[in-house]
Amino acid sequence: MFIRPFDYERAEHLADACDLLRAHGEAAKVIAGGQSLMALVNLGLAQPEVVIDISRAAGYRDCVAADGYLTVGALTTHARLASDPVAARCQPLLGAAAGQIGNARVRSRGTLGGSLAHSDPAAELPLVMVALGASYELTDGRQTRVARAEEFHLGFLTTQLADDELITAVSVPVLGPGWGWGFEEFSRRDGDFALAAAAVLVRIADGIIVESRVAVGAVGDRPVRLADVEISLSGAAPADAAARVGPLRGIRPVGDAGASADYRAHLCRVLVTRAIAQASARSLEAA
Amino acid sequence: MTVGNDQAPSGIRTSKPDELHVVRQPLPRHDQAEKIAGSTRYAGDFAFASMLHARLVRSPMPSARITARDASAALAVPGVVAVLFGEDVPHNLIWVDVPGQTVEVAALKASMEVLTTDRVRFHGEPVALVVAETEDALAQACEQVVVDYEELPAVFEPDQALAAGAPRVHETGNLLSEWVIDRGDVDAAFASADVVVEGSYQTQPVDHAYLEPEAGVGWLDDEGVLNLRVATQVVEHYRDVARILGIPEARVRVIAPYLGGGFGGKEDMTVEPYLGLAAWRTKRPVRMQWTRQESLLARPKRHRMQLRYRTAATRNGQVIGQDIDITADSGAYAYLSALVLLYSSVHACGPYRVGNVRLRARCAYTNNPPTSAFRGFGGMQVVFGYEAQMDLLAGALGLSRAEIRKRNAIVRGDRLPVGQVIETEVLLAQAIDAALERAGDKPLPSGEGKVVGRGVACNLQSYGRCVWLNDSAAAWVGFQLDGSLSVRCAVPDVGGGQASSLAQIAAEVLRVPMDLITVHFGDSALNPLAGTTTATRQLLMSGNAVYEASSALRANVLRAVARTTGVPADGLALDEGLITGPGVAMALTEAIVLCRRLNVPIEALGTFFGPKGTPVVKNLQADRVFPDFTFGAHVCDLEVDLDTGGVELLAYVAAHDVGRAINPRSVHGQIAGAVAQGLGMALLEEVVVEEGVNLTAGFFQYLIPTATDIPDIDALILESGEGMGPFGARGIGEPPIGPPPAAVASAIEDALGVRPTRLPITPERVLHCIAAAGGGPLQEQR
Amino acid sequence: MTATITTTLTVNGRQICKAAPAHLSLLRWLRDVAGVTDPKYGCGEGICGSCTVLLDGEPVSSCLVLAAQADGAAITTASGLLEPDGSLGRLQRAFHVTHAAQCGYCTPGMLMAAAAALAGSQRLSRQEIRARLHGNLCRCTGYGPIVDAIELAQDEAADDRGK
Repeated sequence: MFIRPFDYERAEHLADACDLLRAHGEAAKVIAGGQSLMALVNLGLAQPEVVIDISRAAGYRDCVAADGYLTVGALTTHARLASDPVAARCQPLLGAAAGQIGNARVRSRGTLGGSLAHSDPAAELPLVMVALGASYELTDGRQTRVARAEEFHLGFLTTQLADDELITAVSVPVLGPGWGWGFEEFSRRDGDFALAAAAVLVRIADGIIVESRVAVGAVGDRPVRLADVEISLSGAAPADAAARVGPLRGIRPVGDAGASADYRAHLCRVLVTRAIAQASARSLEAA
Repeated sequence: MTVGNDQAPSGIRTSKPDELHVVRQPLPRHDQAEKIAGSTRYAGDFAFASMLHARLVRSPMPSARITARDASAALAVPGVVAVLFGEDVPHNLIWVDVPGQTVEVAALKASMEVLTTDRVRFHGEPVALVVAETEDALAQACEQVVVDYEELPAVFEPDQALAAGAPRVHETGNLLSEWVIDRGDVDAAFASADVVVEGSYQTQPVDHAYLEPEAGVGWLDDEGVLNLRVATQVVEHYRDVARILGIPEARVRVIAPYLGGGFGGKEDMTVEPYLGLAAWRTKRPVRMQWTRQESLLARPKRHRMQLRYRTAATRNGQVIGQDIDITADSGAYAYLSALVLLYSSVHACGPYRVGNVRLRARCAYTNNPPTSAFRGFGGMQVVFGYEAQMDLLAGALGLSRAEIRKRNAIVRGDRLPVGQVIETEVLLAQAIDAALERAGDKPLPSGEGKVVGRGVACNLQSYGRCVWLNDSAAAWVGFQLDGSLSVRCAVPDVGGGQASSLAQIAAEVLRVPMDLITVHFGDSALNPLAGTTTATRQLLMSGNAVYEASSALRANVLRAVARTTGVPADGLALDEGLITGPGVAMALTEAIVLCRRLNVPIEALGTFFGPKGTPVVKNLQADRVFPDFTFGAHVCDLEVDLDTGGVELLAYVAAHDVGRAINPRSVHGQIAGAVAQGLGMALLEEVVVEEGVNLTAGFFQYLIPTATDIPDIDALILESGEGMGPFGARGIGEPPIGPPPAAVASAIEDALGVRPTRLPITPERVLHCIAAAGGGPLQEQR
Repeated sequence: MTATITTTLTVNGRQICKAAPAHLSLLRWLRDVAGVTDPKYGCGEGICGSCTVLLDGEPVSSCLVLAAQADGAAITTASGLLEPDGSLGRLQRAFHVTHAAQCGYCTPGMLMAAAAALAGSQRLSRQEIRARLHGNLCRCTGYGPIVDAIELAQDEAADDRGK
């Protein structure tokens, strides 16, 4: 209700938005779905002087599979990602995670690029991107570059994006044969940011986990992969996986009003274990 | 003509179901259709073409001295009309201890400044009022108001606040109020007891979190009357506004439109004094809307309480002694804290007979956000304590949770520890049986790593205000010439169907179809004053006032017909639109015209006076504190996830004796809504304050339950047919919020063998219970 | 620095074209500029759902969308569910029958969430209905009667299709 007034510019193309960002500098903020920015603005936590609207920019709304990769445009909404048949076939983890974001209103407006660029450590999409080893295509309107998800998210609401850069698309490997996926999150109330979350992919061959990718969210300033867990899972029968998880190195949970750091760490282990079981079951089911 | 009940003997009323036509019918409330169409105009929906906007500048720190204030930069913002400080308020004082239409009480005379001038006592305290042409100018100007603070020592824990040498929140000291009960010989009872159980319980501060934040519009009308159309539970605050502005009470009018929820949070003034000040100063219409964040930050909360119980019982389960100690956090200002603590004290032993009671209760000032009225009003926190004690006793004696309660359940004629005798029928044991029967078999766990528990909790909760507050409610009922009916009663409708119930009562007495009745409510100038919509008092007070007025009006009409027809009035019957008797069949409209011809009034003003009593003193001993009480029993089934500590509610049954259900739909609504709010307190909600700073001033931090957190709530309505409201109705607005936290804790104890004693019962706390029970994942891994 | 922008929206079938400050949310634009007050302010955080409207058929928090972003869109609010003669629409009648509104402040938003939930063709279980509503807070009813209403509206719609 009581917000500092700002100007509004609508970009017809993402490249235009980058030009506007350069022109306005730090005073500018990009809005797509607005689900993060507008809440911050309404709370007085963000006070832009100009807001650059890319929600109507041309393109970047498709889910396309080619050469073993699924590429999703940055302006794809969570609702679309959750229901897109190509995404569901090629990498079902994406849609499953997108379908758990917030509520129907957040999903109908919120975009993939917006969520990744906002980089909330408890958000679903950055987590699954880290788990999947996604790469993000970035542009400043003049040239493009590619960033790896694991390196892109630098910390709480902080990324590798330059002031005049935008995410245009995301590529993830297609779910290969023998792979299964699992996604688990826990919040005190449905739809809220998670206290802890886990995204897991495993490949099972001859009844043994031969490869895995394990990532967790909300237990540090960014989503992280748990390399030690991945190593210890290697060669395990799914039934023994829980016992093999071992210590969760690399997580840095922080306590707050809703949960202590200890509890988050405990929860993280529970969710990792459950996500592994889920992923294993899916892998075995598919085999 | 005026009628009243000043001669009424006991105040107990009854009715026979087979003689009722409209009452007990689950009719749709008359306010539903407009609300569902989206056309109801709430306080914030009302606008004038060229109105001003007002906003408060609030203190960013919990304890400080104000060293300088400067409005010049704010006044330089284009569109700013005024920046007001405490010195600009004609009488810069709000009496905060007893709101409403009270004429004399043993009051604390506690007060606070409308805008604080010198000393800040809590995070969010109003310091300046800014008025501007637009909300945008307001946003900019509020940031430009310069206030310099010098931090002062602060205290945040009630125990510490009461210790010697603690920083003083107020010059008078930090002890706000103290209540004592000494009944019977407690030490002897404990010495002779077969079993003694002991427990310590902690409740948390919670927020009302109605969906409608505080809002309103103020303007001067053509008669020079200051009008305030605001979201309030108390239109009588017009008196407070008049006093603050130094103008006659007759010059201020408060209009309460339909509220978007109140729950006690709109009992104290919110926007009223500021709107009044702004409109009075600028002579222009002004709107003020608090943001959700302001509402969560600074409006009074429910009292955090530390409850310590020792309970003595005999081998056969009879409770013979209670030794109770209560410490409550009043926050920075008194508001209604002393009364809240009185409610806690009177209700502290629950709906059980106990002959020997020692109670010590105190309420301390701290630099936390203030606390005040909230549905259940101190009578609900103690349920978390006394029901835990009953479960402990059941466990110690090998009795079922139902049995221990039934053996001690209050019945008519029993005396509460404070001294008041329960005069009406009590169906507590019946409610326990009914709730358990409805709950059926305990459900089975849904899978591995899950356990299921069933909890039981009972309570009593008063309805009607303390009997020394000289409570009254007035209502005017009048026929129109076409036979339709107007009811005028200044009751604020907070969403519980207050106005609609009045129509139903009038319809029963006067046999006028509901769709021919209009209720004019919530207006302090044009309607007879009916008092606050608080304390579960409106059905009792306004309900009886409408009943009295309608009965008088009915008598008038029948008397006129009797005079004309020669058939005595008691031989005449009023049916729908028709008056009949031996040889008489007269249309109501004809009878109304007849009244006019015979100089018989076709309207009546009824004033109902609440039961009276003498004010209590610190050592509580009174024949009567409240008009009466409502009793209930709840059963909760839930499942615990042993790995995460997550709790899923599976089923919930709430049985209450409402005496007589005026509208069973509305009764269901009150029960289910109160249970949901109680379940939020049980599992999710907490106003987290760290060093006086409120960390939960947003809806993403303050978690109220969603549709997936609450199971279907089975509301069982028992009708003893006896109460002090019209037709024997008892109040039901507050009572069902008491048991849920205790019922949830009871169910978790049933599932795990260890009881959570601190609210809210977060998954983390549940996990600690699992660990304490000697198992569970947390222990295995550590 | 208060840039003004002209926005045209079709609100409940009525085209409204207004110039207003560019930073206004759709909620503020509807309420303060266009005088459409059925969407309510509840939190400004996108949590409570009191301001839910349909934007080209999709449920959105109108407090989190700039009016300028919605330029040209069709907006449906609770009053857009009324029958042409002004009587309650089917979903609204179901809310009326089940006593789904108490204070009524969440109701306009809740209706839009319900309308969005019922837009699909598959039958929703009670639990699924609850899951579709979890982003809309109600403090009065305990949600049961609201779930009842949506079940009822769903059954009636199914009956109609069966005819």
